[in-house]
Amino acid sequence: MRAMGGTPLTEAQEGLWYFQALDPSNPILNTGQYLDLHGPLDEAALREAVARTIAESEALRLRFRPVAGGAMQVLGEPPELEWADLSDHADPEAEALCRMAEDSARPLDLAAEPVAAFSLYRLGPDRHLLYERIHHLALDGYGMVLVTNRIGDHYSALVNGTSVPVPFPPLSRADEADAAYRASPKRAEDAAWWRAAMQGMPEVTGPAPGRAVSGATFLRESRWLPSDLLAVLAEWSDAQRLNWTDVLTALTGAYLSRWTGGEVVAGLPFMVRMGRPIARVPCMAMNVLPQRIRPDEDALLADWIAPLAAEMREARRHGLYRSEQLRRDLGLIGGARRLYGPLINVQPFDRPPGFAGLEVGLHILGAGAVDDLTLTFRGDPISGMLFEVDANPGLYSPEDVAGHAARLPAFLSAALAQGRLAPVPTATADEIASAKALTAAAVHSVPDTTLTALIEAQMEATPEAPALVFGDVTLSYADLDRRSAVLAGRLAELGAGPETIVAVALDRSLELSIALVAILRAGAAYLPLDPDHPPERLARILDRAAPVVLLTSPELAGRFPDFGQTDDIADSPASGKQSAGLTSAVRSAVQNAARPRMPQCLLTSDWPQEGTAPATPPQPGNMAYVIYTSGSTGEPKGVVIEHRAIVNRLLWMRDHYGFTPRDRILQKTPATFDVSVWEFFLPCISGATLVMAPPGAHRDPTLLAGEIRSHGITTAHFVPSMLSAFLAAPASGGIRMARVFCSGEELTAELRDRFHARVSAELHNLYGPTEAAVDVSYWPAAPDDASNPLPIGWPVWNTRLAVLDVRGRPVPPGLPGNLYLGGVQLARGYLGRDDLTAERFVTGPDGQRLYATGDLARLRHDGAVIYLGRSDHQVKIRGLRIELGEIEAAIMGSGLAREAVVLAREEGGDKRLVAYVVPQGRWSEQAVAAHLEARLPAYMVPQAWVVLDALPVTSNGKLDRKSLPAPVFAAAGRAAETAAETLLASLYAEILTLPEPPPAEADFFALGGDSLSAVRLSLRIEEETGRDPGLGAIFEHPVIAALARVIEGGATTGGLSPLLLLAEGDPAQSPLFLVHPAGGLGWGYRRLAHALAPARRVWAIQHPGLDPDQPLPESLSALAADYARRIAGLVPEGPVHLAGWSVGGVIAQELASALADIGLDVGMVAALDSYPADVWRAEPDPDPVSALRALLAIAGHDPEAHTELDTREKVVGFLKAGDTPLGALPEQVLDSVVRVVTDTSGLVRRHHHRPHPGRLTHVRAGLGHGDRHLTAELWRPHGEVEALEVPFLHPRMISPEAVVLIAPMLKAAMDRAEQRALPQAAAE
Amino acid sequence: MITKAPITRELMRADIAKMLHMQPEEVQDDDNLPDLGLDSLRLMKLVLGWEEAGLKADFGLFAEHGTLGEWWQAIEAQQAG
Repeated sequence: MRAMGGTPLTEAQEGLWYFQALDPSNPILNTGQYLDLHGPLDEAALREAVARTIAESEALRLRFRPVAGGAMQVLGEPPELEWADLSDHADPEAEALCRMAEDSARPLDLAAEPVAAFSLYRLGPDRHLLYERIHHLALDGYGMVLVTNRIGDHYSALVNGTSVPVPFPPLSRADEADAAYRASPKRAEDAAWWRAAMQGMPEVTGPAPGRAVSGATFLRESRWLPSDLLAVLAEWSDAQRLNWTDVLTALTGAYLSRWTGGEVVAGLPFMVRMGRPIARVPCMAMNVLPQRIRPDEDALLADWIAPLAAEMREARRHGLYRSEQLRRDLGLIGGARRLYGPLINVQPFDRPPGFAGLEVGLHILGAGAVDDLTLTFRGDPISGMLFEVDANPGLYSPEDVAGHAARLPAFLSAALAQGRLAPVPTATADEIASAKALTAAAVHSVPDTTLTALIEAQMEATPEAPALVFGDVTLSYADLDRRSAVLAGRLAELGAGPETIVAVALDRSLELSIALVAILRAGAAYLPLDPDHPPERLARILDRAAPVVLLTSPELAGRFPDFGQTDDIADSPASGKQSAGLTSAVRSAVQNAARPRMPQCLLTSDWPQEGTAPATPPQPGNMAYVIYTSGSTGEPKGVVIEHRAIVNRLLWMRDHYGFTPRDRILQKTPATFDVSVWEFFLPCISGATLVMAPPGAHRDPTLLAGEIRSHGITTAHFVPSMLSAFLAAPASGGIRMARVFCSGEELTAELRDRFHARVSAELHNLYGPTEAAVDVSYWPAAPDDASNPLPIGWPVWNTRLAVLDVRGRPVPPGLPGNLYLGGVQLARGYLGRDDLTAERFVTGPDGQRLYATGDLARLRHDGAVIYLGRSDHQVKIRGLRIELGEIEAAIMGSGLAREAVVLAREEGGDKRLVAYVVPQGRWSEQAVAAHLEARLPAYMVPQAWVVLDALPVTSNGKLDRKSLPAPVFAAAGRAAETAAETLLASLYAEILTLPEPPPAEADFFALGGDSLSAVRLSLRIEEETGRDPGLGAIFEHPVIAALARVIEGGATTGGLSPLLLLAEGDPAQSPLFLVHPAGGLGWGYRRLAHALAPARRVWAIQHPGLDPDQPLPESLSALAADYARRIAGLVPEGPVHLAGWSVGGVIAQELASALADIGLDVGMVAALDSYPADVWRAEPDPDPVSALRALLAIAGHDPEAHTELDTREKVVGFLKAGDTPLGALPEQVLDSVVRVVTDTSGLVRRHHHRPHPGRLTHVRAGLGHGDRHLTAELWRPHGEVEALEVPFLHPRMISPEAVVLIAPMLKAAMDRAEQRALPQAAAE
Repeated sequence: MITKAPITRELMRADIAKMLHMQPEEVQDDDNLPDLGLDSLRLMKLVLGWEEAGLKADFGLFAEHGTLGEWWQAIEAQQAG
């Protein structure tokens, strides 16, 4: 019997209780199933069987009473079997299922109502459904099996008159087993074993990105595994002397590892019952064991499965240790950090129970939370196996779930048949066939001709039509024909012809367009040069490409000082032809002798007036143009495109979008970008008009809008960032065009929607590298397109888009892979660089020539391609893309290192750049850092340096990355002395993974701690000392010695004092005060403060009203005056610097005046995405819930992304689950924060600004503010403003990512302010 | 495959280890044998072999007591009684 006051929860129950307590309204823990009973049912026997089962299963009577820190369980009244006759319903089965679904979706009051419910639905005389629903806290999956089978046993005994089976053991056995394990030394051994086993575990992910926390529902797809697969599984496992359950788990893990970068950490549900006293106790005992599975794709299956099976056996030996506890041990708290990803649940025992005289089917409705993906196998190879895919609908679509359900069985069969994983594609045969069908659908007949022939045909067909417009000059096709023919003739004289190159360096002009057509008519390929590029680069390109002629203008000729004028050779007009007549060996010898080679330079002023086009037409396989792109090594690469390729691209575009002679196409892209190719030539092959924008217009939205209107432009191209700027310009409102094309950058859904709200035109997204004739894919971004992300779409004619994994195997929809291109548009290669050509133009698995784009992509379920980013030696740190090779090259360039490797290391959940160097010369960390700071953006300078004698290498001579030691974020000073200091030093070392305890002066945050690790520190301190110091104490006293005094009973304000020193620094320098945002707390500035220290001290100003006993201020001015007095008390002599985020910036602006009022000098005044009171005046004051939602923004979340959090409980629950210190605030502080948010918002609305002294430095959140147009301009009426911007959303402005960009801005602004304050000193 | 000699704890350990493709010293007295992979099918095979060798014990207790130490204790108790 259970004690009257109740029993504490077992460890197994605690994790579930915590999950349910976070959101009491989530019904996902109602596990449910029903039995489909066919045959003549003995109703009385069934009633009795259920009653007897309930009577002997104490767990079904549990109630849970919340107490401080958890719950107590007591026994309540037993549930009773409900009985409903549905046989009169039109569809009794549907009605029954509907009632079950309703019941399962109902959140339970665990304190007051039964955890279990049983219902019998009579569908007809020979068909009944027995529904069971039990809360997971009371019973796990095996407990449900015990209870269900028990009902069957009782029923059969009653019907057959046989003896009653042995009753269940008492529930107290579960409590005893729990208590015994808690008290045993085994628990600590297990903890150590798991900690070691998970050492170096990868960041856990599932197949889908996102926050994996179970919602209220799940998606399911189930199917019976084919019997031949089961037979092979059983036979193969027996032959290898392995358990089929282990083999099934291993291969399922291999499938998942394809989705998680080669290693998956799967969760394996573990019954923890067999061979134990609780084997037959209906209770909650199940654990989930994290299992790292890293299959060897090349090895024979048995060679990696056998060791894995041994590992899993070893893990089960330690399987009593709760995974919830392990998760805490490893610091994997917070919504995004997980111990395991998808679950692999092999349940051999889950078979329908026996009911005498009845045929029984078993249907599982729900088995608990589905955080990510749960892959369940019910049954065994002999009796058959049901495979279920349950998925979190927040992460997976129904198509995703159906995909996994279809793919895994095929993967299992193929892997067992092949005996190895490497030959098995992740995509199914059907998926591979669908991809092939898309390529087949793109096949289109295109004439085998040249761009030259198409242009000439058009000029002949419509001689009178306008071909070119530049300013107020219009050329007809006949004019273009005549002038390009004359120039072509001259070019031919100079040596131009098929397979030669003519370089062009001209500003946008009629001459540029004529020159390009003329070069093509001479049969040559054109090479565009940007006159603005550095002369060294231009010279290098000319040297590599060896053009026969350089076409430029007298104004630009000075950029090419080394090139001879054609006048020098004009006396020998046959020289070009002569040269062409030489054998290539002789020509090459002549050229070598003349190094540096100098093409003949033809100036626009020297173009002849008379002449005819040469008869040297190019062939479809000749090169049409050469465009240089930047190479990762720093050496530009010349991409050679042939006529056949660009003809395909242009004719596709003409047909697909229906271009006609009435179209007027804007030419605004510099000729060095390949987008310009269709701008220049699409009009010439469609009979349309090319309108050339004035030079420089492509950077000026207002000028562009004017051009589009005045010239009646129908078609224009924009790079998305330029389109964004264009839409933001007042002049673009209401523009009408036929179509706008985007390419060159990712077109976002947000930009698409903004476009259609402002401009009346079709919008098309195009994608393609220079290496494949401009564009290879298209997507209509129509007003009704709701895609997000917006795809790059479908292949153009005769083109293949292939997404393949690292081994060249096709990937299924949803799985990121490398994008390869095939088809007629591929470039010939890189000019003179066969090595680079061979690297990127490869032979695909089916023998086709493919170009490896280096782009990552994935397929949608409809086959459309989505661009995901680059696959190169790139990492992302705080959202910023970084080429590690570029940093390494910069270090080597300093001459201070013999070898260098840069890694992005994850330390305590934060990625940091660490450089490993073998030094040489006058090495010092300061010297090399200074060298890098001059060459790289600040976020690319490593945060830590590790000096080594040599870089570690593996046996085959490759860099052994795993052997590179973790960096030491050093701290010096006296060693910890007192007991409290020693304890804290060891806890700092534990939480920050330091090699040894830091000294007593060490600052938690300076050692790399963040708010999340501070939460962990406070938990650990409480565990060790039994006293919770409060998170705020760590924020207020992050130095060991000071925090030790607090633990020993010293005073702390809990981090709520109005002036909080965030970072220690040089007291001789002007300090910086960071004014709290709406919530009144300044803790969020910790990261920013450390980025600006130790050059100066950085303080947070916090709202005095955080103390509930303090009165609230009358006005914002009064609040600022109070802050000014506090600052003056601390720093009697100025100047002081001020900054604030959000409302903090509004207060800082007023505070600047308040300080001036009392005679204190103010340096920088910075507002981080703050806007004046006038903007907010019309808004209603926030109610308590919206004040709470403001906390989300303060915690760095976008409140608009979480509209479901509409109650205090939900907001607090969300914050507690996330990695923000706000979630760990004591209740009364949270109340104070809400009080301060509400009050401060009101103060802002009633505030009237006065002009601020000096200049306001404004840093705008560049990713926008929803539908509001907020800019620094709004501050102009109140004084001088300096406008800066960073690419973040408002809530992320003081996040670590943003601090990387903002800290240098503020540092520079403070330096400037100090310069201004000392004009005399500066003048000396 | 199952030994015919009089049953000892060490012989049982060796048989179990063989069935699980492990070394005898890897099977500890307090290891939960189902956790090591000893499912009911394999257990049945072992028990049949041991019964053939003359061992009499209530193997029903195996379900709730899954360690060799517990088994041997029960066997000794039975032999004593």
